[in-house]
Amino acid sequence: MQPLYLTLAVFLLLNLGAGMWRVVHGPTNADRMLAAQLFGTTAVAILLLLAQAYGIPALRDVALVFALLAAVTAVAFVRIAWPNRETDHDAD
Amino acid sequence: MISVKGKNNWPLIISRGGLFFVLWWILTDGVASSWWIGGPAILLAVATSTILLPPGSFVWYEFLKFVPFFLLRSLLGGIDVAWRVFHPAMPMSPVLIEYTHRLPTGMPQVFMANSISLLPGTLSTELDQDVLKIHVLDSQGNFLAELEEVEQRVARMFDASLKVSEGGR
Amino acid sequence: MTLIDYLSAALLIAGAFFFLAGTVGLLRFPDVYTRLHALTKADNVGLGLMVMGLAVQAKSWSAVGKLVLIWILVLLAGASIAHLVSRGALQRGIDLWRR
Repeated sequence: MQPLYLTLAVFLLLNLGAGMWRVVHGPTNADRMLAAQLFGTTAVAILLLLAQAYGIPALRDVALVFALLAAVTAVAFVRIAWPNRETDHDAD
Repeated sequence: MISVKGKNNWPLIISRGGLFFVLWWILTDGVASSWWIGGPAILLAVATSTILLPPGSFVWYEFLKFVPFFLLRSLLGGIDVAWRVFHPAMPMSPVLIEYTHRLPTGMPQVFMANSISLLPGTLSTELDQDVLKIHVLDSQGNFLAELEEVEQRVARMFDASLKVSEGGR
Repeated sequence: MTLIDYLSAALLIAGAFFFLAGTVGLLRFPDVYTRLHALTKADNVGLGLMVMGLAVQAKSWSAVGKLVLIWILVLLAGASIAHLVSRGALQRGIDLWRR
């Protein structure tokens, strides 16, 4: 089963990479905020797969912390890092 | 702190204790020697949570009935959105609707708003005292029936009655 | 491979498929609201299936509990993030795409 776990982990990493295109290109700041959502779920899934593949249960605790932090990150993003005006209406 | 107008809150407080007990057991992988600190931690957590979030009405049985409903519907939500994603024409006709709440403010409304974001085709966008703005992926779908069903289930879960609708949806 | 292994593999691969759907939706869908639909729902189902696929392999009940707990936390975070981002977008006047 280990090759499957690792293949899927790499697959999810590629997903994350592809999703980054949207985060980088926007076009609105709201689209950039989607990074919080994307990273939250995908990173947790990758960690769980690695925990199983290498038999390191501690990685599940890392995933747990990631899951907890995802909500906090989102609030911080939206409240603090998101300017009140949309400045870049370049494409939409 | 404990009782509200002579209402017996002990079952709810004890069920919270049970919840924290399970959480501790999960987090420590059931290591027996951790309970000497786990026990006091659970008591402290129950006391703190009772002060911060006084026990309201919560019907566990209805919650347990909500779980399979939610799991099945959210799976359908995933399938629905995946179908639209991979369809060459991306079939959808998004619309923003305003749903007049019939649930009481606070936990019931928040619970409903969060649930519908994971159900097929609906995304809660703004939560007000009396209006919930919802982004609907497909204006042709029967999202209204879906919303009403969720609302009724949430009402039963929090042992609340729905306000009589004033018509306007 | 045992029967459990096949079940686990099927659930994991199905989960990965939904992650792919979420990412494709993120890239293909026309505005931030529809992208949120895709990402929130598909990724949460994807993680749910993966959690199930790993849970059938788990060696103890507490490990199953931890996997489920992680999924519940991600669900809560996902719903909150979707709400915060779409509310923020609406308040900042980002129009929704219409056909």
